[in-house]
Amino acid sequence: MRYRLKLIALPIVALLAVSAGFVYVHWSKGGTGAGLYSRHWSPDPVQGYWDPENFYQSTEIVEGIFEAELCVQCHEGITPGIVADWRASRHALNIDPVSCNDCHGSDHQQLRLPTPEVCGKCHGKQHGEFQDEARYGFPSHVLAMERALDAPHFADKPKAEVQSCVQCHSVATKCDSCHTRHRFDAAEARRPEACVTCHSGPPHPDDETYFASAHGQLYRAEGSDWDWSKPLIKGNYKAPTCAYCHMDGGRHQVAHKSLWKFGLREINPHTSKNQVLRKRWIKLCSDCHEESKAAQWLTDLDQERKQAWKKLYKAEAVLKDLRSEELLRPAADERPPYPMGSLWQRERIGFFEGQASAFYNVSAIERDYFEMWYFENLGAYKSAAHGSMAGIKSGHDKMAASLDRIETKAKELRNLFEAEQKGEIAPAPSELWMKGAYTDYNRDHN
Amino acid sequence: MLWSVFNKMRSTIWMLSIFGLVVNPALSEETIAPGPFTDTECVNCHTERNPKLIRQWRQGPHAADPGSGCGSCHGDRHKDSNEKARKDQSCASCHEGPAGHSYSLSKHGVINHLNEDRQDWNQPLQRGKYRAPTCSYCHLHNGDHGNTMAPSHGPEVRQWICSGCHSPRYVREQFANGKRQLEIADLKVKEGEELIASAVDMQSGALTELKQRLIRHRRNVLFGVGHQSPDHQWWHGQPALDGDLIRIREAVSEFHRKAPLERPFSRSPGDN
Repeated sequence: MRYRLKLIALPIVALLAVSAGFVYVHWSKGGTGAGLYSRHWSPDPVQGYWDPENFYQSTEIVEGIFEAELCVQCHEGITPGIVADWRASRHALNIDPVSCNDCHGSDHQQLRLPTPEVCGKCHGKQHGEFQDEARYGFPSHVLAMERALDAPHFADKPKAEVQSCVQCHSVATKCDSCHTRHRFDAAEARRPEACVTCHSGPPHPDDETYFASAHGQLYRAEGSDWDWSKPLIKGNYKAPTCAYCHMDGGRHQVAHKSLWKFGLREINPHTSKNQVLRKRWIKLCSDCHEESKAAQWLTDLDQERKQAWKKLYKAEAVLKDLRSEELLRPAADERPPYPMGSLWQRERIGFFEGQASAFYNVSAIERDYFEMWYFENLGAYKSAAHGSMAGIKSGHDKMAASLDRIETKAKELRNLFEAEQKGEIAPAPSELWMKGAYTDYNRDHN
Repeated sequence: MLWSVFNKMRSTIWMLSIFGLVVNPALSEETIAPGPFTDTECVNCHTERNPKLIRQWRQGPHAADPGSGCGSCHGDRHKDSNEKARKDQSCASCHEGPAGHSYSLSKHGVINHLNEDRQDWNQPLQRGKYRAPTCSYCHLHNGDHGNTMAPSHGPEVRQWICSGCHSPRYVREQFANGKRQLEIADLKVKEGEELIASAVDMQSGALTELKQRLIRHRRNVLFGVGHQSPDHQWWHGQPALDGDLIRIREAVSEFHRKAPLERPFSRSPGDN
């Protein structure tokens, strides 16, 4: 009897818990911001331009309904640059032109900034593919904004500061990240430079690593003479570009072959799912190279990743040991808390604990590991994936040096702690991390 | 028929041509020697022809630098000298580092780079004439040689330049956000400098280096904001400043922890 009661109660409790979870997530998204922590922040006034669906509000200064030539007549004087740009675009040159109001609406007090849905009304294939990219998870373009807003540091930091984040993550919320307005030129979007505004810098030096590779060198030398109006298929380009490999055939899904997940976490490259992705890569590379060679390059990349994770896990273990010995300073309770609080305060180490969000107001040794993982490791990965041999070496050399530094520092921390114990010195919990011009401001501006 | 008309008007045509060449030399490049010209020659001639331009140039930082005369941007020939100076390359050879890099990574820099061959560089640096702003489009707008983006020109000038393509509200909001981003970077610099100043006993080379890093990373935010490079605003800017603050705090806190250990025999007066 009792057993039967348990059998009935268990699914009911589980069902209740799951529904409560859904209700909580739904509730948490109902604040002034957006995403999981929306109740803890309000947007910066400029955010509407990066995330129009959530935050854009039309100006109400000009009253009236305007269409096509009427818009152009006025804006030729007000914003001549975009009118000239549009006039040279396929939108304007079409027999049935796509006019301002087709994308922005015609009521000047209720103008909209075009979202991918708006573009998708005509460009259904591309939009459909783009939406469907979500099934590959993150990293991907389509989920980029969601991921940015759901990062704890986004909720925590002043909203003016994190506008830098949404500029790039707006690749999910607008099409003009690649197809710059108001020309929206596919030929321009096919060129590698179209990607580098976002795909640059320490965690993703795609620009440097690609341009340093044989492919990139060839592009640099000859690319300006290639015919960029051609589709991204075999035979049309002498060397592959970002788009040729990651959006082959013009498919609007950069995550379509995303195997190593940006180098952010270790993956098993040989699961049945990843075998499919490997085959996709080999097929693509064999547009120019022998299949066996392509397969070998993938194996090389697996090896490079293995080496990288060996170093990273060693460093992670050092940090986790320090944490369990309570030697990290500041300790978790000496750090300014996140606005949404946390049931379990502890130092977050590694990908699965969300260390990517914990890069400030932490101990220096944690920051060292963050830089080793996020900058040096990802730099090595990008070098390996794009074929920059010098980049692989420099990334791994830097990681080895960081690991060494982390191990030395851990020893020093232990020695310091032992000396303090010996001298019966117990430093009082430090206020050092709780105060400061920026730290105070940060706490008041979510 | 046409020929006879031409014959009748020949003298008039000649007269007009000569008049044009004498009175308005700009009508014909042939009247001006092809060069090469020295910077002094340029300045001497243009002080008469474009006194305003020379005045603007003299007041700016380029005139103060002996290495950057007219020829640095325009070349030493008269032909194509303006087209040459309008292109980004003429600036990039000197303005390397984050200043140039932040622009070339920005959407403006990328669009320009990709459209360079299609752009008519004979056009004056005015609204509607360029697909995207170049260095000179913003900083020497309408040929003003006094850096039109400098604070001394006032916000209205910047607003006017950017709103040639962007809506007035967009420009206003971007500038306001940029200002807030910089204020935040300034707060980080202040926090770091105050931490360093509070550790009176421990001024060291490492701390001086950290102080310089704060200034450098704050500058990256400025370039990131001004040139609209998210990479410089963020990865080379704000989180880099966060890292500097962490390292400064580490130095300060270790100093405080180590201090009592390095004085093992010192006792407080009450102990005796």
